[in-house]
Amino acid sequence: MIFPLIDGDAGSGGAGLTVALVLGVAFGFALERAGLGSARKLAGQFYGRDLTVLKVMFSAIVTAALGVLWLSRLGLLDASRVYVPETWLLPQAAGGAVFGIGLVAAGLCPGTSCVAAATGRRDGVAVVGGMLAGVLLFAEAFPLLDRFYDSTPRGTLTIPSLLHVSPAVATAALVAMALGMFAGAERWERRAHVGGGS
Amino acid sequence: MGGASGEGGDAVREGGLRAVPAPGFQPGERGANRRRTHRLLAGAAAVLAIAALAAGDRSATVAPTAAGARVDVAALARTVEAEQDHVTAVELAAWIRDRKPGLRVVDVRGADDFAAFHLPTAENLSLTGLTRAPIRPDETVVLYSEGGTHAAQGWFFLRARGIEHVYFLRGGLYEWMTEVVNPTLPANATPARRTEFARTAELSRYFGGVPRIGGGAAPTAVDDPAAELPRRGSDDGDGAAAAAVRRVRQRGC
Repeated sequence: MIFPLIDGDAGSGGAGLTVALVLGVAFGFALERAGLGSARKLAGQFYGRDLTVLKVMFSAIVTAALGVLWLSRLGLLDASRVYVPETWLLPQAAGGAVFGIGLVAAGLCPGTSCVAAATGRRDGVAVVGGMLAGVLLFAEAFPLLDRFYDSTPRGTLTIPSLLHVSPAVATAALVAMALGMFAGAERWERRAHVGGGS
Repeated sequence: MGGASGEGGDAVREGGLRAVPAPGFQPGERGANRRRTHRLLAGAAAVLAIAALAAGDRSATVAPTAAGARVDVAALARTVEAEQDHVTAVELAAWIRDRKPGLRVVDVRGADDFAAFHLPTAENLSLTGLTRAPIRPDETVVLYSEGGTHAAQGWFFLRARGIEHVYFLRGGLYEWMTEVVNPTLPANATPARRTEFARTAELSRYFGGVPRIGGGAAPTAVDDPAAELPRRGSDDGDGAAAAAVRRVRQRGC
């Protein structure tokens, strides 16, 4: 048995959607357990008094990176079938800026806004509504953005291919960075807590 | 790891105005237990990362075959006879659009030509570069050149290196331009041909092309509602590509 058992895109139909639903619910559950369904938690990240977002996200990245690396090493995962999104430099930088403004303003990202809405937080419902309105607006405005959308294509970039290192080296560097950051974040939070006197 | 687990309870209590307490600071036994778990998980990640380094990179890139390596010429000849050595421009376009996993599109022309114009997602490798470029066995390599000759020669080099999934674009960039960027449906086409053309036209528009109907003196853009979908300006949108191809055509194969 070699994962992925089905390809997520066209052709897999119902099976792909079922897998996506299960993974999505699990993802939402993990986000809620981590407390990220609360805009306060994300705001805490931006004010530097609660680095949960940083730690949760890097935990997920490290887990996924080690998982993909070892599963493919053990022949359980066909890494070449794992979809790597392509890079379009300028449009993605612009999209990132828009996304960032929305994230700071709402204190929720698309994933956590769904979690917040699902647990009945009204700000979550508002953000989901805004997100869907944005999607609609983008679709309607697409003819105007079409050319920019396709500009500066760079194809699929990965850190190993960009830096000419093996996936194992890239993953080890990532893990080292993450562990250092976890330790630093814990220390920072303890200090902020003691000093902040909240 | 991180301060992730067990924070849900804190986050749900949103009534007060106080800030969410810093999760790193958890006095008492619970905090100590959590810290121990975090350390355990961090240690596991470190061990896995170091083990990956030690295990080396099987990476499975096919090393260039040593000079004089034997090539099963008969098998290669059969592949060519069965027409399994090349792809058409429309097939390649569909692969690129559908993000065929492991697809590598390789332009074997010179760097200047590549800089002037190349197919989406393509990388530039000289024929010499092809002989030593690391290629994983699970990758599908499609080579193209202006016409098709150099790409076909590159196909042989890669097959000789033992790489299985190699194809070349049969008609090269010319074929891409005539079949994908500017496909034309003859005015007297059969219904079957028209149906097929609808698919090609969709691909063409995806790549910013302008499908046309009628091979007359003044070709008109496809007259169907789908053609009204967003499309790059036909005058300067594909102007760069068209100019590049004009230069290609002038030079010949």
